[in-house]
Formats: sequence, structure tokens, C-alpha cells
Amino acid sequence: MGSHRLGGATLFALSARQVTKRFPGVLANDHVDFDLLPGEVHTLLGENGAGKSTLASVLCGLYKPDEGAVLRNGTQVRLTSPRHGLQNGIAMVHQHFRLVDRFSVAENVVLGHRSLPFRLRASDLEDQVAQVAERFGLPLDPRATVGDLSAGQRQRVEIVKALYQGAEILLLDEPTALLAPPEVEKLFETVRAMTQVGKSVVFVSHKLGEVVDISDRVTVMRDGRVTGSVARGEADTRKLAELMVGRDIDLSPRRSQVPARETLLQLDKVGLTKDGIERIANVSLSVRAGEIVGIAGVSGNGQRELAEIVAGLQAPTSGEILISGARVNGMGTRHVRKAGLAYVPEDRLGTGLAPSLSIVDNLVLTRDRGFLVDRKSALAEAEAFIQQLEIKTPHAHTATRKLSGGNSQKVLLAREIFAAGEDSRVLVVCSPTRGLDVGAVEAVHKLLDEARSAGKAVLLISEDLDEVLTLADKVLVLYRGSVVHEVAGTEVDVEAVGLAMAGLS
Amino acid sequence: MNSNVWILTFADAISIATTLILATIGAILTERSGVINLGVEGILLMGAVTAFLVGDGTHNLWFALFMSILVGVAMAAVHAILTITLRANQIVAGLALVIFGTGLSQYVGKPVEGKSRPVTIQPMHLGKLSDIPIVGPILFGHDIFTYLTWVGALVCSLYLNRTRPGLVLRATGDAPATVDAQGVSVAMVRFVHTILGGALMGLAGGWFMLARGTAWSQAATTNGIGWIALSLVVFAAWRPLRAIAGAVLFGFTLQVPYTLQGQQINILPPEIVQMLPFVATLFVLVALSTPRARKLLGAPKMLGQPFVRDER
Amino acid sequence: MIIGNFRIELEPRLTSPKWLYAAVPAGSLVFAFIVGGVFLALTGHSPIGTYSSLISHGYTSTKGITNTLGLATPLICTGLAAAFAFRMNLFNIGEEGQMYLGMIGSAWAGIALAGHMPHVLAVLTVLIVGAAAGALWVLLPAVLRAKLGTSEIVSTLLLNYVALNLVNYFIFGSRGFFRDPTTSFPQGRGVEETARFHSFGNSNTYPTVIIAVLLAVALYWFMKRSNFGYETSVFADSPNTARYAGMNSTKLTLSVLLFSGALAGLAGAMYVVGPAGKVDPGLLQIGLGYAGIVVAALARYNFVAVVLTAILFAGLRVGGASLQISSNPVPIAIAVVLQGSVLLFALGGEIFRRNRLRIRRVQQVSVAS
Repeated sequence: MGSHRLGGATLFALSARQVTKRFPGVLANDHVDFDLLPGEVHTLLGENGAGKSTLASVLCGLYKPDEGAVLRNGTQVRLTSPRHGLQNGIAMVHQHFRLVDRFSVAENVVLGHRSLPFRLRASDLEDQVAQVAERFGLPLDPRATVGDLSAGQRQRVEIVKALYQGAEILLLDEPTALLAPPEVEKLFETVRAMTQVGKSVVFVSHKLGEVVDISDRVTVMRDGRVTGSVARGEADTRKLAELMVGRDIDLSPRRSQVPARETLLQLDKVGLTKDGIERIANVSLSVRAGEIVGIAGVSGNGQRELAEIVAGLQAPTSGEILISGARVNGMGTRHVRKAGLAYVPEDRLGTGLAPSLSIVDNLVLTRDRGFLVDRKSALAEAEAFIQQLEIKTPHAHTATRKLSGGNSQKVLLAREIFAAGEDSRVLVVCSPTRGLDVGAVEAVHKLLDEARSAGKAVLLISEDLDEVLTLADKVLVLYRGSVVHEVAGTEVDVEAVGLAMAGLS
Repeated sequence: MNSNVWILTFADAISIATTLILATIGAILTERSGVINLGVEGILLMGAVTAFLVGDGTHNLWFALFMSILVGVAMAAVHAILTITLRANQIVAGLALVIFGTGLSQYVGKPVEGKSRPVTIQPMHLGKLSDIPIVGPILFGHDIFTYLTWVGALVCSLYLNRTRPGLVLRATGDAPATVDAQGVSVAMVRFVHTILGGALMGLAGGWFMLARGTAWSQAATTNGIGWIALSLVVFAAWRPLRAIAGAVLFGFTLQVPYTLQGQQINILPPEIVQMLPFVATLFVLVALSTPRARKLLGAPKMLGQPFVRDER
Repeated sequence: MIIGNFRIELEPRLTSPKWLYAAVPAGSLVFAFIVGGVFLALTGHSPIGTYSSLISHGYTSTKGITNTLGLATPLICTGLAAAFAFRMNLFNIGEEGQMYLGMIGSAWAGIALAGHMPHVLAVLTVLIVGAAAGALWVLLPAVLRAKLGTSEIVSTLLLNYVALNLVNYFIFGSRGFFRDPTTSFPQGRGVEETARFHSFGNSNTYPTVIIAVLLAVALYWFMKRSNFGYETSVFADSPNTARYAGMNSTKLTLSVLLFSGALAGLAGAMYVVGPAGKVDPGLLQIGLGYAGIVVAALARYNFVAVVLTAILFAGLRVGGASLQISSNPVPIAIAVVLQGSVLLFALGGEIFRRNRLRIRRVQQVSVAS
């Protein structure tokens, strides 16, 4: 797609000029400039916390900039709300979908659209929605209930919603995070269909690889500033990585340095059927001391259930779970912990930690506490962890919700890896770096590597394929509750894993 | 036992249901927006005492009811400001409203305590319809508000399910962030419906006083009807039309003690019979708490949760 | 919100200064008195005169303060009951009914069991049976909440009306066990003398006030230090975390609600061993159970603060009662109006404790080219 030139000046569809946005204690955007051409696919690349989502939120009208201006077709617009953004043809699809589960697809699409008639007729709405969806090659049943749809389908609903409301510019926040590789390809087709009719698309992403292929231009952000903007073909992945991170980081695989020893965790034909639906089917796996077994897969394919079964929070409906050779299935989480299991859940602040309680109180969570709670020793332990793991906090009595994501994850890992003691030899970890910045990711990976070197058996369940490939000595792929692919970490064929994640192996 | 008595009991049950329907629909509108207003009992009392005092002063029925509505609006506005603007705990704020309304209605009603009602809402005579045996007195001997209330429930149901603002209202109770992302003010939707709900609750209290009450006595006025209305919301599964059926059923349990007493039927002591509506309500609540029933009911997902836009 | 050139914003505080914890309730009190004053003035009473009379009859005279402490005794218990449940996000608003059952249970024990017991044992028995009766009254809502997840709010409340009619039945509707057989006047049968405390001096304050205060302090310590207190705080903060840590939510919910009911029952029992000495329908008139909820909310569920708030509220009530017997009587309901307003203002004031009010000049958006 070419640029529209008027008298030598480029007319941008959307621009940011010197946009600055502050949050208490954070300068999220520091005099940022950004330009988007009509019909362009433009990626806003940056680590978590680089300020790219904030910029996107400013561009769509969700946040008001403290300083600077947003220009639409060269004219300044003061966007006061997302609604106002939409009136200017700008729409954003958030990473966490904003849909009403109980509504039909059609109801969701038309919700909030002001030119709707006062009286609504379901059949009219459904026809309209179906038309829009068809035009952009997005297969959707307008009568389906959104609560029953997969992540990829929900994303389609969000996109149709934006198009229905007349969006010319679509901002997609981490659009590939919940999709399997083939679904990503499908999304790209839709994006191409949109640019062909002159609409522009902004990808907000922290993943280097996939978006670079489709983008006409990539703008990189770091620490709230733009560090560079390059057109297609001008830069390779390494250059972008450098702009993004600003320093060399070690993303090379970490593999076990010690030979794996005896099997500590074993699942034998484990299954779970709930409400008549088979959530986990016939899963067998084993994790030995000194190794990390990684489970890859697209979110919602049974990861959560599998972790909860192993952690004793749910009883499997069939099969056996053995920890150090002893059968533990259906015995409850306290018993499983006594048998030597530690568990870092996916939802660190709502499940792994009690958010309003202090670091100290969170450390005693999994202890045997007796009649009175001994906070003295926990305080000493907390202070030691704060120092060793460089946890940034005012003091040990700070509520964990006031810590950054990386720091609260360190508290959780400290408790589950170190405070649990020598007898705790099996570690189950779920999506341990979701939403963390690159420094914290490195720290978490280092801790997991240390746990492995210390002879623990680690089961790593993560939707971040790169993370699994970086750490795991053995990779399993979970699809619809079954293990559909299994390969040693050193022999991974990325394409085969991707196909397996999509259920195509 | 005289069959006429039971016809009258049914008629009375349908009549009492008017208050229940009004209060329940008020609560449904409020709760559909995601706000729970436990202050119903307090608003009913204030609506009742206002109708009485204004009626006593002006002898104007319509003005008395209008003022009841206004008082309901004012009290709901207090709840809205506390819970929506100031993000106070909705449960505690509702309770505070009950206590405040109980105290204030007692205080301002003290001078007229025991005085008989100044103006009366008269039942209508619908010609031949009212003369049909059995059905006539049960269905066609009520005042205009009873019928308007039924129509109101229907309108409310259409509003919720067939209109644009109704769609937004339902979405606000379920997924306020979604509504916010569409540029619709969640606070505004909640404010409007909380206040609309308060207006209906105020009217419910005023109507009860002037149609069913005899003399002003705070203790004997609403006597727990507000809490029964709140249970009815669950029973009606947050759907206005079902509230009618539920209200008649609960109206019956409210009326039976009086019928038994009036007829001097002493199968049970009156104090025990007075427990009936509350025990019945409790029983219904229990029946509705089974996991299966709960799934079918579908309470608004974000009921009772304040909405704060996630700006870090 | 933008007014003129200024933007008014609420900015979350990371920490609230200590003085604000006291300033918000104190400010609410002032505002509530202003609201009450408006109603007083509208109904032809002098606000200043009424309030000074209220304060002297409620707090500053010897008779006033002893009356107040006497009334505060059961109120502390219902306040503790509400606070105890609230701390685990359980809303027991059936203290009123649980207290009535406490009265019935303790009167039964005082009549049937206390006869041959020494004084201290008799009083203890009566108090314990009263507490047990209160717990029993919340058993059904507690089981429903723990097992089925039924909202305890409405279920506990509905039982208040059942309990109310139960007391009425025992005294007015029947000539049964609790009715005084010696007279045709409907009143309760007196408990054994050994089961009653003597008041201090000639006052209306009973030794039960010491028990109530000690109980508050003990609860404060227990919930802060014990494993039980720890588990409830985890559960209140995040039920998922409690489940993750293997805590038994059914057991916790049941024990918290039952204990809350027992505390409310204790309030009724203290009324029996103290001023009443029998099942007395007078308790139905003063709404100590509902007031306990207000007390707990105003004390922000802090057990020690409950004691102070309960004394404050009891004083309003005692002072309010005295206003009825003057040349221009003020209805006692003014006390309830004040209580309700204090709570409404305190709820609204909370936001100023959690957030800082900022007024800023609106910055002009600068356009750089």
C-alpha cells in the first residue's frame, strides 16, 4: 500500500505528536511520536511495560494524554473516550476481550452502537452482523452465545464489532497471545482483507518473530520512548531486538546440566470428566529429579485442570498420580504438599498469593501453623528473600498487591522453591512469566533453572511456547486435554510443535 | 369455611402483590445495572410515611404519591452516590439506608401515629367484569395502580429485552468494562437505574399506605415486605414478568395470616401464622440455591461490584 | 470531573495516615448531627437545646453514663457479632433475631437449670446457653451458605421476623413455660435469683459490661495472632488463595457464622442476667441487633473500636429517650436517625481515607509540530 501524498506532505491516517502519559510513579509515555499510513500494517513493538499499550490506549481515546496531541488525517482530535475514538474511525481490540458472555454474537457486536434504533429486532441485527463478517472473511454464527466460543472466535467477534461500528483504523493489543499458529495465519488473512480496502491495522506486540512478516513498518518502544521506526526490509530481527531491549540478553536455551535421576512425579493415564465433558484425557507423563518437563499448548486446552489435578485441588476421575512413588490422587492439596509438591499457579495474585496480605503473611500460607501463627521466623525468612532475590519492596510487611508483577512472582517462587524446604522435591509451575518485563522473565527463568539444578522435578505448564522451548528438557503438547506430541528438548521441530498445538498433527 | 373468604383472600393477595411487584421491579432494574440496593425496606417506610403526611396535609392523593416517589428517588440517590460515586460497600450502604429510613419514618410519623389514613386509593368497578362470580372479585376489583403495575412489568420486560438501552443495561450488570469500552458511562447507567428503582420503591410504599394501610403505625406498615421483595428478585430470576407470578404467590402468604385472624380460625396461634411469609420466603430461597437452579437463574455477574476503570 | 479551569481528581493513597482513621468517623458524627439538627429544626425543636440535653442525659451525668454503659453492654456483643462475620465478608444481619433467641435460651436456663447452682456457675450456665441458642438460630443460614452458597444476607434477616413472632408468642400468645403464671398480665417468668447479676451500686450498669469489654480485647488478640484469625483473613481477601492453600472453606464459614450468632445470643443473655431477669418483650423495641451492625461498620470491624462506638451509640439512645419526657417531647427515633446518618456519612467518608482529593489546574494540551 502506498502513501497518500498531498502537495509533497504525507497525510497520515493517525499520528501521535509528543504524547506524554504519566501514572502515579510511572512515566508510561515520554514525548512519543507515531505515524500510521492509510492501508498500512504497523507494528508497535516493545517489552511489557515499554509503554506500547499505553500509547495504543491514548490513540483510541481510552486514556487522555497529559501532554501532546493525537492527529487524525492531519487534524488534531481531542479524544475524550473510546466512543469518541470510534466516531473518528479508531477502534481497539484489547488483549482481554471485552465481551458479554451471556449475549449472542450479534448482541455483542451491536452493543453500544448509537445509531441503533430504540427498538431492536434480533433477526435484523443478526443479518447485519452476518453481512459484515462475510465481507471480511470472518466466519461467525451471529446467533451463537459468546460464552461458548473459543478465544480465536471471540477475537473475531471483537474485530467484527469494530468493523460494524465503522472502524477505519484497528488497534490490536497482543492479538496472537491466545491463538494457535494456524489461527494466527487466519487472522493475518483478515488483516490483509482490511488493508485492501484502505483500512489500517496496528499490531501491539512483544513478539518479534511473527508480526515482522506481515508489517509494513515496525515502531519499537522502550521505557516509554520510541527507540526506532523501520520499514519492511530495513531491519532484521536482531536489530529490532536490540532496539527493543537496549542490551544483549541471553535468550539461548537453558538445559539441564546434571543428569536426570529418579522419577519423582508420575501421571499414569490420568483423566478428568466434569459436567459430562472430558477435560483431561488419558494423560501419562513422568518428571525426574533434575529435569524440567514443559507442557506447551494454546490456553484453554486443559492446562489449568492438569495443574490442579497434580496439585490436589481437583481429584482426577481416572488414573493414578504418584509423587516419589506414593499414590496421592484425590487426597487434597495439604496431603499432596506433605508428599513433597509445591505449586506456582498461573494466577499469582489471586490464587498463589493473598493480595492484601503482607509478604510475611503470604510466606506462612503453606506452612503448618499450629494454634498461633509464628510471624517472627517468617519475618526473618522474608527479609532474607528480599535481599537474596532483590525483591523491590518498602518492607516485608507490604501487601503483595502493591508489588510489581515480577516482584510478587519472586515472593511466590521463593515460597514454593525455597521456603517449602528440602523435602519438597516436585515443583509445578504455570505460566510463570505472563505479563512480566524482560528483566523479571530472566530472573524467573534463572530461579527455575536453579530449582532444576538443585535436583527438583519441575513441571512447567506455559502458553508461551518460547518459554517452554527455552527451559524444558522434554516438551509435551496439550491439545483438548490430551498429550498429542512429545519430544526431547534438544530435538524440537518448532513447526511440528506448532501444528500439534493447533490439533493438526 | 366460607368460600367467599378465600375469594377475598385471593383478591387481597393480588392487591398486596402490587406493592411487591413495584418494589421488586425497582430492585430488578437496580440489580440489572449491577447495583444491589438492600435499602428497599427503608425506602418503602419513607414512601409510606410521606404519602401519609402529605395526604394528611393536602388531601391530594396524586400529590401524596408523587411525593412518595420523590422521597424514593432521594433515598436511592443517596445509595447511588455512596456506592457508585464514592464506591462504598453496597451491602453496608443498603443497610444504613434501612436504618436511616426506619428511624426517620418513625420520627416524622410520630405526630400522626395512630391517626387513620387521610386519603384512600379507591378500587375501581369494572362494570360487568367485576360482577363475574369468583373471577370478578379476584381479578377485576382492584384500583388503577394494580393494573398499571401489571402493564408496568410488561413494559419493563420489553425495555430490558427489546430495546437499545435495555441491551446496555443488561450488559452493564454483566460486563461493565465492556460497556465502558463502548464509551457508555457505567456510572450513568447505574445511577439512572438505581434512581428509577428508588422511584418505584417509593411509590410501592406510598401505594401500600394509601391503599392497604389503615392508620399510620410504623411497626405495622411494611413489616418486612422490603426484604420479601428482595427475595422475589431472585425468585423472578431478574425478569419483570416472572415477578408478577412470584408477587401474587408471596402476597398470598402475606394475606393468609390476616384472613385466618379475621375469620377467627385458630388452627395455629396468630404469632405463629405471622411467621408464615418469612418461613415461606426462606424455603423458596433454599430451593433456589441448588447449583442447577442457580445456573438457570442467571444473576447479573457483577452484582454488588463497584466499577473502576482499570487505569493501573 | 472538571469544573471551570480545575480538574478534581481522586488519587489513591498508598498509605493512609493514622489520624484519618479517627477523622473520618469524627467528621461523620458532626455531619450526622447537622442532618439531625435540620430535622429537629423542621419539626420545631431547638437543635442546640436538644443536643445539649441529649449529651448530658447520655454521657456527662453519672446517671446518664451508667445507663449508657448498661445499654452498651449487649450492644457491644451484637457489634462484635456483626464485626466478626464481616471480617470474613459474611454479612450476618440477623443479630436481632439471634439476640432474641439468646434471651429465650438464657431465660430457659435461668428458670430450669440455675435452681441449685452456685451464683457464678448459674450465671455462666445462663450466658453459655444463651450464646448457644443464638448460634442455633444462625445454623440454618450458615449451613445454606457453606454448603449451597445461599446468600446469608436475606436468610439471616428473614429469621429476625420469625424470632420476633416467637417471642411474642411466648409472652402474648400462649400461657406456656416462659409466661409468668402468677399474674394475668402478659410478662415473662423470672429466672432464679442465683442466675442474675447485681448492678453496680444503684446504677443500671452490670458486671456483664466487664465481660463484654474483655471479650472484645480477647477477640482482637485472637484474630490477630491465631491460625483461625489468619485463615479467615486469607479467605476474606481471596477465597481462591484459601482453596489453593487447602483451607476448608465450609468449616471456616460455618464456624465464623455460628460464633457470630453466639455473640449475638450472648447479648440477649446479658440482658437476662442483667436488667431483665426474664423474657422481656421490651428488648424487641430497642433494635440492639440492627444497631450492632451500624456499630460494627462504623468501627470498621475493629473489635476494640466496637466497644467505643457501642458506648457512643448507647448514649445517643439513652439521651434520646430522655428527650421524650420534656415539655416539647422529641421522638426517640431521633437516635435512630442519627445512627443511620453517621453510618451513611462514614461510608461516604471512607473514600477520602483511601484516596487523596486533588484539585489541579487543567493543563492546556500543547501541540508540537
